[in-house]
Amino acid sequence: MRRVLVTGLGAVSPFGAGVKTYWAGLAAGTCAIRPLSLIDATGFRCRIAAEVPDVGAGSARRSRADRLALGAAAEALEDAGLGAADRANAALVVGAVGGGMLEAESWYWARARGERPPRWAASLRAMLPAAHAEALAHRLGLGGPRHTVVTACSSGAVALAEAAELIADGVVDVALAGGVDAVTRMCFMGFNALKLLDPEPCRPFDRDRRGMSIGEGAAFVVLEAAEHARARGVRPHAELAGHGTTTDAYHVTAPQPEGEGMARAMRAALVAGGVAPDAIGYANAHGTATPQNDRIEARAIAQVFGAGRLLVSSTKSMIGHTMAAAGSLEAVATILALTHETIPPTASLLTPDPEVEFDCVPRVARERAVEHAISNSFGFGGQNITLLFRRA
Amino acid sequence: MPQLQRREVVITGVGVVNAAVVGASPALGAWLREPRPVARSRAGGGRPAVRLPEGTLAGLIDPDEARRLARVCRLTIAAARFAVAEAGLDPAAGLGIVVGSELGDFTSTIAFADGYLARGPAGLSALLFPNTVMNTMAATTAIAVAARERTLTLNVPTVAGELAIARATAAVASGRADAVLAGGVDELDPLVAEMLDALGDDGVRGEGATFLVLEAERVARARGARVLGRIAGAAWRSLPARPWGVGRGVASRAIAEALAQAGREAPDWLYASASGDATRDAWESRVLSAALGSRRVPSVSLGALIGHHAGLGALHVAAAAWTARVGLLPAIGGGAERVAGGGLVHGLGRGGGHVALIVEAA
Repeated sequence: MRRVLVTGLGAVSPFGAGVKTYWAGLAAGTCAIRPLSLIDATGFRCRIAAEVPDVGAGSARRSRADRLALGAAAEALEDAGLGAADRANAALVVGAVGGGMLEAESWYWARARGERPPRWAASLRAMLPAAHAEALAHRLGLGGPRHTVVTACSSGAVALAEAAELIADGVVDVALAGGVDAVTRMCFMGFNALKLLDPEPCRPFDRDRRGMSIGEGAAFVVLEAAEHARARGVRPHAELAGHGTTTDAYHVTAPQPEGEGMARAMRAALVAGGVAPDAIGYANAHGTATPQNDRIEARAIAQVFGAGRLLVSSTKSMIGHTMAAAGSLEAVATILALTHETIPPTASLLTPDPEVEFDCVPRVARERAVEHAISNSFGFGGQNITLLFRRA
Repeated sequence: MPQLQRREVVITGVGVVNAAVVGASPALGAWLREPRPVARSRAGGGRPAVRLPEGTLAGLIDPDEARRLARVCRLTIAAARFAVAEAGLDPAAGLGIVVGSELGDFTSTIAFADGYLARGPAGLSALLFPNTVMNTMAATTAIAVAARERTLTLNVPTVAGELAIARATAAVASGRADAVLAGGVDELDPLVAEMLDALGDDGVRGEGATFLVLEAERVARARGARVLGRIAGAAWRSLPARPWGVGRGVASRAIAEALAQAGREAPDWLYASASGDATRDAWESRVLSAALGSRRVPSVSLGALIGHHAGLGALHVAAAAWTARVGLLPAIGGGAERVAGGGLVHGLGRGGGHVALIVEAA
């Protein structure tokens, strides 16, 4: 098994394009959840989301999600300083759910009205989750192993774990991995139908939390075998020291009530990283702000690490739940917390839930140097993953 | 680059549900001895396609369970159960799942959207929504067979089944998993068929599910499992192509790497992913020629018989294990060619996904 380092970071978040902009927003505790503009929210109880203000990154002929992905992926590759030869052999793993559904929905909505909208063929070709990886590989010259993982809301984190395994197992030296999702009608309407959305910006770990907020974005990282990074003379951001991936096999939408699968993922990550529970200083929680998730996740973290033994925060309080991007945006937030020695806050936390026995870093970022941190992501279908990062 | 030590990976169970085969490896073997084309229908729109006859699924899934499951999830679970039963595996010992799908559950996705378009927010179904996410087949199957290790869903055009088997093989070979249920599934929604027609995919389309139980050979032998074949090499790479497009490049390391893992210079025979999608099939022929040179390698694709779907690639792997066991390569149109040795299962997808697996007798 080879050590896996993070040597490039890229993010397009509801704060805007770029890792610097992302960290500035997180560190300031800014909430980017605002009235929806991309889709018609008439008639819905919730009408807010964390949209990316300026998508940029290439032709408007591409899907919004492809442009989000291209922006973040290009930044990560540039940050890592990877040349064409390394790119040609690099693996690409993308976590995706919605694909180009936003544009496909426009096509389908128009079709239902008996219209034939322009660019329908381009919309359909870019519709599947796999389309992001095809666009990225083609545009950025990535010719190594490529795959697209769909594990619902944990997809972005699973992509990082998949890429890390390809490196650890000696298949490739370098990989680009991350997750992406744009706001879609399907997602917004679905979580509305499940009554899981708060009409106000979400408040993870708050006693009075009422559900999640939808977000969008993309984050990609360059992962690299330690000896390869050393040979290139690159300074890593962090080490991806381990991960644990489990399945609840319990319910299609609800987590197992005791957090058994979540706790198993956290323990597996510790074992993989060869790290004791008390070495972990910070957990970037899945923290969706649904009553159920936050209570069960806090219970699972307490089972593994002991109640109150580490700082826990949910950056979804600022950027919402960015779906397939969430796991990778939160992985980047966790890495930045290590490098900046600052724990991003749970921005909207006013009244801590007494059932959550952790300091959830309310409202204001906390200066704290930690050696190890974890990032949790859980998806529909009980698809749990914990990523473990070590300070480089 | 250091290739770390690889564990031997074997197939211990097969489950197939499609228009030609329903059952475990004996049912597949019986069909492979004399593979006949399956009737194509035009039901619901689009060009003629190979559809699963109504009623096939009804006998496979208990009605109470079926009520809660989308059709594509029922397909997945039925094939998965055949495979797990044939393997005689106890999932409590640790079972992961890798599902490959090209299209996911578009039937539910379309029904969910139609609810809104007909009745506004009041028409939205909370029950349908989880099915709009492509991991729904993996999630329901994990519950159905009590698989609690890693569960992955992989999406890629054309080669999702081959990719799922290759990814699962890598997980077992590296020692990260002892047993993985892996394969592919797709169903053919009429609107999706219409969209694919409009995009110029002119292959024969089908639907169904094929799943295999892959295990570390040492673990499988220790528990006395019947071994159906060995996956001696598995690799996947990316060839440049636009989304859903057919590319021109032919230089990919997938075949060479899979052969190297298996310690072979060339395959003795091969299963290709051709299914009548003319431009894509021609690209695959060029990629194979570039990798294998002028050597004649007996080849077959079952895609034209049962229709292209994500289950096809996994079915090709199970069929390759049968070929390696009995020494027969099925021929389209009747008969079979006598072959020996190990074979290549090859997949090249629209969008440039490229997968190579080497299958041998064990």
